[in-house]
Amino acid sequence: MYPVFYPVASLSQIQCTPSRSDGLPEELEADLRAFGCKLIHEAGILLKQKQVAVATAQILFQRFWFVTSMKQFGIGDVGMGALYLASKLEECPLRMRDLINVYDLLLQRTAHKLSNSNTEFKYAPMSYFGNTFYDLKDALVVAEMQILKRLGFNVNVVLPYGTLINYMRVLGLTNHEDACTKAWGYLNDAHQTPIYALYPIPTIVSAAILLTVRHLNIPLPSTPPNCWWELFDAEWEDIWDICGHIMRLYRKRTREDEERVWGMLSKKDVRKWLEEHPAEEQADMPPS
Amino acid sequence: MTSTTSSMGSLTPSRKRSKWETNDETESPSHPQPSKRRAKSRQEDARTPSVSLPSHPVSWSLHSSYVPPRTHHPPIIPSRSVYSYERLNQIEEGSYGIVFRARDKQTGDIVALKKLKLDEEKNGFPITALREINALMTCRHDNVVGIREVVVGDTLTQVFVVMDFIEHDLKSLLTLMPAPFLQSEIKTLMLQLLSAVQHCHNNWILHRDLKTSNLLMNNRGTIKVADFGLARRYGDPVGVGGMTQLVVTLWYRAPEILLGAKTYSTAIDMWSVGCIFAELILKEPLFPSKGELELLAMIFKLLGPPTSNSWPDYSSLPLSKTIALPSPQPPQFKQKFPYLTTAGIDLMMSLLSYDPESRITAEEALQHPYFRESPLPKHPDLFGSFPSAAAGEKKRKVFDSPSAPVRGGDYKLLTDFDV
Repeated sequence: MYPVFYPVASLSQIQCTPSRSDGLPEELEADLRAFGCKLIHEAGILLKQKQVAVATAQILFQRFWFVTSMKQFGIGDVGMGALYLASKLEECPLRMRDLINVYDLLLQRTAHKLSNSNTEFKYAPMSYFGNTFYDLKDALVVAEMQILKRLGFNVNVVLPYGTLINYMRVLGLTNHEDACTKAWGYLNDAHQTPIYALYPIPTIVSAAILLTVRHLNIPLPSTPPNCWWELFDAEWEDIWDICGHIMRLYRKRTREDEERVWGMLSKKDVRKWLEEHPAEEQADMPPS
Repeated sequence: MTSTTSSMGSLTPSRKRSKWETNDETESPSHPQPSKRRAKSRQEDARTPSVSLPSHPVSWSLHSSYVPPRTHHPPIIPSRSVYSYERLNQIEEGSYGIVFRARDKQTGDIVALKKLKLDEEKNGFPITALREINALMTCRHDNVVGIREVVVGDTLTQVFVVMDFIEHDLKSLLTLMPAPFLQSEIKTLMLQLLSAVQHCHNNWILHRDLKTSNLLMNNRGTIKVADFGLARRYGDPVGVGGMTQLVVTLWYRAPEILLGAKTYSTAIDMWSVGCIFAELILKEPLFPSKGELELLAMIFKLLGPPTSNSWPDYSSLPLSKTIALPSPQPPQFKQKFPYLTTAGIDLMMSLLSYDPESRITAEEALQHPYFRESPLPKHPDLFGSFPSAAAGEKKRKVFDSPSAPVRGGDYKLLTDFDV
């Protein structure tokens, strides 16, 4: 078939994302992106939504932050909008009310974790005549439209799974059940990183395979001029960078780091944080 | 901005400034700075210059053609404002929205702007519009109308799809032209249509509303498939997620949909292609029926009622029990198309065949002997041109008496642009 030209972030968009030009540190932006994607994933599971729609939503969500600052839109709202939009794109549309209920629950649960109380979390359903539903509904409609508008309506997404199966076949790894599951898992986890908005699918799949074979000690030809990833037109530097993005997800986090993220789901929280940390802005900015 | 407008003034006599909404003068400030570059070239320029296509031909020729280098992917670009375009005239209005003819203020290109109706949407952005935009973006082809971009107005409810402007649609052309297309011309048109349909099907898109009014034609003998408002992706196996039976304009609807088939696939587009083929020959619709039952009766009359041979699955279709078949009778193609060659009749019968499983595919139809026998397909450049109703042009009266005030006639022709 024909190569599909899905959009990826340009060099200048990568060097300084809108959130970073608003003063958000690089690490914090990455953590917020990851948490937003986690919420999408959890919502998808609760809604019994197809994984293709969830993955598409996460990719659109990641692209969005290359053209928009978190000061303008919260990760909660945009995540909800992305899942709603992606479900339409993948021909499995969601009911607005179901999605809103699920996001209401997820937001309440995060607030509960943040409150540090020892009581067990109990979901308080929104009142039938209250404003919560209409507020969330407005946010959802606006988020969906803003995603479309800011991505220029180019919502073409290519998922990595088919490519993975092909590459595993080429490398003769399909009989290795561990390897297949692990590589598949890395591709899924990678949806919490921005890499799907940064690199073409073949490179991402090669990185997932590299992590897999390294962890399982499977030898593959890796000394120049015979490097297996060259079969798939991937560059070593790119693969290595993607591996870094993925492995970063598994690092130990302090309670403090996590609480910082839980408390910044809306644009209001982000603005408040930016006001409280004006000095850090300079210190955390990497030299670009 | 003004320089482009005035230099283009001779093409279209719009003395008044165009307005997208009401008569407010806030247009110019909100207009983005003209960067002298088109959106398309901007996309390429945004890439790092060192890896642009011409300077490094070697670095990516080593790549598989299926794995284009990263730098060939477009960057993430937000929608431009509708004020990048100047409105010229309204082309048509339908349930989906209004279509305008407009001019790109930067490049001077004439385009068609389709304003989507979003005011009464309860479920966010309509899925049908999403499908249409997506289908157009994935199915880029010489014979599919080109989508340039999607632009937005001041509020979130104003969304415009920008497409190439094409002068005619085949439907009005067929009604207006004095004589039907020649066989050689029909072959060219059919080849173009089939290659567009093949391209869509290869990209997993069903059009689901092929008909002559959705085929646009320019003055250079090229037709473009348009209006993907009912298009949607299909999968293998087909029908995952459920598909509606409310598709395809009645006259062009395949018999399996009429009889309530739960799943359908590319064959429904091929039936429509068959109806279009017949319409090109007859210069009028093949099955101009008022309702489903009348349509079935007309189909039965032309094809002969279905038999277990011509349509093995007929009896298992939901609505087949409710229909009383007329007495057996042979197909009437020869009588209906007396001047069509045997190969032409064969192609027509393969397109209009009952069993969707054995109906000819676009790929097979392109190889059909009909296109290789005399008269051969006419080169698109040799097609005549016609006055464009969509551009507000009127047909010149050829037989006007010579003493008629020509200047006055011309003047009228020009002022008719202003709508």
